Amino acid sequence: MCVILGFISTCCHSQDTTDIMAQLENEVMQSDANATTYTTATFKTTRLVNGHTVENVGKGVMDMKISHRFGKLNGGGYELFGLDNATMRMGLDFGITNRLMVGIGRSTFEKTYDAFFKLKLLRQSTGRKKMPVTVSYVPTIALKTLKFDDPNRKNYFSSRLFFTHQLIIGRKFSEGFSFQLMPTYSHKNLVALQAEPNDLLAIGIGGRQKLSRRMSLNAEYYYQIPGYKLSGTTNSLSVGVDIETGGHVFQLHFTNSQGMSERTFISETRGLWEKGDVFFGFNISRVFNIGKH
Amino acid sequence: MANLRFILSCFLFAGIVFSSAMAQTQLGTQNGKISFASDAPLEIIKASSNEMRGKIDLTRKIFAFTIKTSSFQGFNSPLQKEHFNENYIESNRYPDATFSGKIIEDIDLAEDGENVVRAKGNLTIHGVTQERIIKIKMTTKNGVMNIKSEFTVLLEDHQIAIPRVVNEKLASEIKVEVKATLMP
Repeated sequence: MCVILGFISTCCHSQDTTDIMAQLENEVMQSDANATTYTTATFKTTRLVNGHTVENVGKGVMDMKISHRFGKLNGGGYELFGLDNATMRMGLDFGITNRLMVGIGRSTFEKTYDAFFKLKLLRQSTGRKKMPVTVSYVPTIALKTLKFDDPNRKNYFSSRLFFTHQLIIGRKFSEGFSFQLMPTYSHKNLVALQAEPNDLLAIGIGGRQKLSRRMSLNAEYYYQIPGYKLSGTTNSLSVGVDIETGGHVFQLHFTNSQGMSERTFISETRGLWEKGDVFFGFNISRVFNIGKH
Repeated sequence: MANLRFILSCFLFAGIVFSSAMAQTQLGTQNGKISFASDAPLEIIKASSNEMRGKIDLTRKIFAFTIKTSSFQGFNSPLQKEHFNENYIESNRYPDATFSGKIIEDIDLAEDGENVVRAKGNLTIHGVTQERIIKIKMTTKNGVMNIKSEFTVLLEDHQIAIPRVVNEKLASEIKVEVKATLMP
């Protein structure tokens, strides 16, 4: 009798722990339905390859970015497949709040300074407030300080300025896969020919697939709308990997764009993948905490 | 026949035991505090959450605790918090850490007093369950129970891998502290 009773009572006990756990799980589910959970880590860093992702740096975080693009791969052995030449961009990004970041940069390519801010308008979330996508707005201004081609004609300071407005609509579909759309409007105060448009339109698509917890494969493509693009330019296509190690993210990539600020890679790409006008490059990101978060 | 009656009476008795157990007294919390610390040569990482939920059944001496791993705040940077959730604890795949089991001490939990008891049960972190005996200090007064416990968790026990580059920044043994007030 004792054996049977003992059996029944142990039986009951294991059952009991599950029922008390089930009660807890029920409570958790109810409170989850009343809370909003925001999606995190849609991308590993604030840049996909050349362009922005929907990610921001956190409040009080400074992100130092050093980006390099080497010369064309089709330069052959003489140029060591492009490694003899490099353009670079140094940049500093800073998170004012968790939804607003600002950044400045300087590219050696055409001696360009750039500045931007990125504001998260909507955040992907589940629970009480449901939002399928994250939407960010990124306006960028670029200042080209290269000496004017023809110093004898009347040159205006405004001719050095370029403006880009981007809306980035991104969604983390699963733990590994995220995708985004980047409609882009650019304005150039000065273009080479009178027939060329000053207002340019493009739409970008980009995504990442995680290969492991610390590595992901990224791709980015900007399609320029015919009639709103400069003649002789091509669409920017870039493929790369993100490798994350603690506070650093290394991004290695191949791209047909040499410039690294929005106005150059979106609307002034001239490289053709099929001809081997491809640039190998990398971005290194290192974050520092400045403010109290 | 006698045998059958014997078995039937057994069931009846078991039924009484079971139904008496149903008349249970439960204490619970929704805002217990869990803190953890990783003390490594190059970096100290601390985080805590006030969102631990738990229940103790005083009659049956069983308990269950659960915490959402994404609710931990603190860390040395927002990025570190993201890495904690993304790379180490994997909060999307394993959203909760739990501990449930039985208090294996021959005392009446409903009585006022201060006791250090052993809680034996399953500790699940990162989807990996380990059977553990964890000491808990229980202070009961007027039907309200304060609990406090300190224990360590080996990352290896729960299949949380430490990459070589952060070897010096992350301890292999994490100190955990739990504090909660359980009320009827």
